[in-house]
Amino acid sequence: MSGQTSERSLLETPLDSRSERNAVENSQRATLNILEDFAAEKCELERGQRATLNILEDFDAEKTRMAGAERAVLNILEDFASEKSQLEEFQHCFLNILEDFSQEKRQLEGTQRAVLNILEDFEGEKANVELANVRLEREIKERKRAEEEIQRTNRELSATNKELEAFSYSVSHDLRTPLRSIDGFSQALLEDYADKLDATAQEHLQRVRRAAQRMAALIDDMLNLSRVTRCELHREKLDLSAMAKLIAAELQEAEPSRHVEFVIESGLTAVGDPQLLHAAMENLFRNSWKYTSGHPTARIEFGSSVEKEKHSFLVRDDGAGFDPRYADRLFGAFQRLHTAKEFPGTGIGLATVQRIIHRHGGEVWAEGAVEKGATFYFTL
Amino acid sequence: MDGKTILLVEDNADDEALTFRALMKNNISNQLVVARDGAEALDYLFATGQYSGRDTSIGPQVVLLDLNLPKVSGLEVLRQLRANERTKLLPVVILTSSTEEQDRLQGYDYGANSYVRKPVDFNHFIEAVRQLGLYWLILNEQPPARR
Repeated sequence: MSGQTSERSLLETPLDSRSERNAVENSQRATLNILEDFAAEKCELERGQRATLNILEDFDAEKTRMAGAERAVLNILEDFASEKSQLEEFQHCFLNILEDFSQEKRQLEGTQRAVLNILEDFEGEKANVELANVRLEREIKERKRAEEEIQRTNRELSATNKELEAFSYSVSHDLRTPLRSIDGFSQALLEDYADKLDATAQEHLQRVRRAAQRMAALIDDMLNLSRVTRCELHREKLDLSAMAKLIAAELQEAEPSRHVEFVIESGLTAVGDPQLLHAAMENLFRNSWKYTSGHPTARIEFGSSVEKEKHSFLVRDDGAGFDPRYADRLFGAFQRLHTAKEFPGTGIGLATVQRIIHRHGGEVWAEGAVEKGATFYFTL
Repeated sequence: MDGKTILLVEDNADDEALTFRALMKNNISNQLVVARDGAEALDYLFATGQYSGRDTSIGPQVVLLDLNLPKVSGLEVLRQLRANERTKLLPVVILTSSTEEQDRLQGYDYGANSYVRKPVDFNHFIEAVRQLGLYWLILNEQPPARR
């Protein structure tokens, strides 16, 4: 304004002098120049303004573009975020898969270890089996050898048995023949030369005869005993009570004059060889019959009881009995606890009974006292 | 009883003498022919060897046969005897010491009529012979001769 002021001030002043007019003209010119400059400046400014406006336009456009870009970037960021979350999901899944995988891996490792263990055990087992096989083979060989030995022993045994049979046979046959001669010709002497033989001589000959007969009885008994040991055992169900009654009846029939009371328990059965058990029972009954012969009446029992925790059978009599001190000699072959004068016999009866009972896997024993009878127990 | 022969097949001289004695004691006076081994017995029965030419129509009434014989055994004699048409019906009594079941079974199996065990006690022996004589020579009816 100062410019204007100065302008006004210039215009208002009277035109006094050319100097003043020159000054004014100069000033006018200066002002015109300034105005020109100003106009130029204004143009410039307008140009500048236009440029600025252009720039602003561009800037606006840019701004829009930038907004667009910003939107795009935001979209991209959104997509990116969703991608990121997807990726994170994938990552999760992946991590899960990795977890499962590592679990699977652990399981596989576990399985692998187990398999390795199994293989180890298998190796171990294989070694064991091989060892066992070797042992088995050895066992089999040994068993075969044992079997062969058993067979060989069996063959030897049956050969021995056959030899024994043949032996018994010739013993029985060949020993009896000379005995017959001894007895027969002694008798012939007694009969034909009775007048030439005094009582003593005759007694001698009688002794000879008796001895020969006794030897024959012994041979028979020995043969029976050996047969009992040799022969085959046939097992059957047997009615022992019935057997006892039969034997009792036979004994009574053979000597009807004797008064013997038989008390036989019924319903007693057993499993065994009928012939052998009959022989055993008969022996026991005959013994009781024999050793009660000294008494006018007698009682012979057949029954059962539980002895030594086993079910056993018994034959009991009230006859002469025996001294229990010699009980262990009772079952010996040809062992006797009485003289032949007291009671006849060869002493083979009980040995036979024992052998028969033992062959059946049982036991036999006796209880008794002198003149108080005897009881014979047996199990089967 | 006369005219009826008894064939005794026995190798033991003592047994032969005792059997003879026992027969005598029982008044059995039949002719006693003794064969001392199996071969001799067969010779007699079939009229061969030392007995060739024998009149075989006079057959023995009964054969007392021991089992243990030299040369040919008693069972073999029996078997051949039974196999022959002419002699197969002859009564044969096996008279032996043996009581072995096997012998008894085979004896009967081969066709013996009777099996008697020779007792040691001579008195029993006499009794046995008496019963044998009574039965086979008197009571028993001989098979008729074949035509």
